[in-house]
Amino acid sequence: MASKVDRIQDESLRTALQDAQTALRTGDYKKVVELASGAYVELLRRKPELLQGQAQFMSVMFFPRLGAHLVVNTNGVPEIVWDREKFIFSEAITYYEYTVDNLIKNKL
Amino acid sequence: MKFGLFYEHQIPRPRDQEQWDPDAEHQMMKNALDQIELADQLGFDYVFEVEHHFLEEYSHSSAPEVFLAAASQRTKNIRLGHGIVLMPPRYNHPARVAERIATLDLVSDGRVEFGTGESGSEMEMGGFGVQREDKKQMWEEATREVVKMMTETPYPGMEGAYFGMPSRNVVPKPLQKPHPPLWVASSRRETTMVGARLGMGSLGFAFETPTEAEERAEEYYRLVREECYPIGKAINPALGVVSVLSCFDSDEEAIEKGMEGAQFFAYSLAYFYNPFTGGNHAPGKKNIYKQFADAPEDQRWGPFGDAFRGFGGFGGGGSGDEPKDEVTRALWRAAQRGGCIGSPDFIKDTLRQYEASHLDLMIFVAQCGARKHDDVMDSIYRTGTKVIPEFKERHAEHQKWRARQLEGVEHLVNSTI
Repeated sequence: MASKVDRIQDESLRTALQDAQTALRTGDYKKVVELASGAYVELLRRKPELLQGQAQFMSVMFFPRLGAHLVVNTNGVPEIVWDREKFIFSEAITYYEYTVDNLIKNKL
Repeated sequence: MKFGLFYEHQIPRPRDQEQWDPDAEHQMMKNALDQIELADQLGFDYVFEVEHHFLEEYSHSSAPEVFLAAASQRTKNIRLGHGIVLMPPRYNHPARVAERIATLDLVSDGRVEFGTGESGSEMEMGGFGVQREDKKQMWEEATREVVKMMTETPYPGMEGAYFGMPSRNVVPKPLQKPHPPLWVASSRRETTMVGARLGMGSLGFAFETPTEAEERAEEYYRLVREECYPIGKAINPALGVVSVLSCFDSDEEAIEKGMEGAQFFAYSLAYFYNPFTGGNHAPGKKNIYKQFADAPEDQRWGPFGDAFRGFGGFGGGGSGDEPKDEVTRALWRAAQRGGCIGSPDFIKDTLRQYEASHLDLMIFVAQCGARKHDDVMDSIYRTGTKVIPEFKERHAEHQKWRARQLEGVEHLVNSTI
């Protein structure tokens, strides 16, 4: 059975999440969080409607806050703020799954 | 598909009083035990009890191990689930968790389901000094160690990021070997996939359309087969979801007796888990039920309305438009949130969709809001006699499907599905 990540249509985003999947298997959890968070920020950049009105609240509030969190700066640009450098297995999975689900849901 | 009950121990404040009647908590506990005893006699498979602290009105279940111990002495077969134990060590020292789980397993003749979780409300985290960004690390570290305590003689000890203790033999050990089935609370979708990768059952609120739900089940079991690194000594592959229940002879009666309780459940959940309202809660003073009851009808599912759903639901059976008829519209709204509110036939139709999506366990919230005990008993009785039997007859088919999903899995499986 194909992995869920293969359903991401955009090649660069799919590759990023495939790399994150590999990092998850090799135990490089920081890299997983970096790749997943970066892909999520890219999703918001390509879908600006997700940062309009109440959608922005949902986009920011529901992004995981487990050592790295999302903010929208004063220029309206989303960015990741790092609270720490070390992550564990379940945290990395959370960032990875959240991003994959949202990329698929938004048809990227 | 198997069935359970889910208890938060809700007690809304009286709308026109500042505090509860003096006997309200006592009576609620006794009523809940009566309900569970009835459910056991009717063949319900599980009861899950939450652990929450300081979430007045929403949940007065802060010592589930005590309540489940009481339930164990009034029941014979029903599985006794923690849904869940708060694992960050500031809530519960891991050794105390291992001791309590094992003791409950012994006094219940091996009926414990060990659900684990982190908590997410500002009231709880702030009350115990748990930082949001650390809670998942705390959960993972503590859960790994509790499993070792239940299975290793002696426990070798450890110095972790959030917990440390020297080698001790943690006794007693649980009756179930190597340990009771492990679950993780999955109020967030992605935590279900954390559970799959760690070999844990998933206890979730949110559920989606039948297609999405089926996809989720397939992905969950694929991960169990291909990418599972068990946190325990045995895995518990299982998907369970929570849904509100109100089962009466007619849809109209089910709505009349059960809809407000379901709405209060969602409303008070959203109130405490929204950091703005929950984080600014005035302990001992705020009357959430009054605020709820005074709210316009269309705001009773929660402060965020449709944007913040306590239950994912099946999207109103595929229809995008609200029905105009009052009863049909109420059912449509409940179904949007995954609710099982209606006649036995209506509920069976909803459950068949979950069954087709390969759900392992449906857990009903029967006691919620200001529902009357007699109505809760009636609803449980009707569900046990007119709804569940059909699904029990087909459960063997589901077990065959599960067996196919688990082909090739080499990990030890201890699951009661």
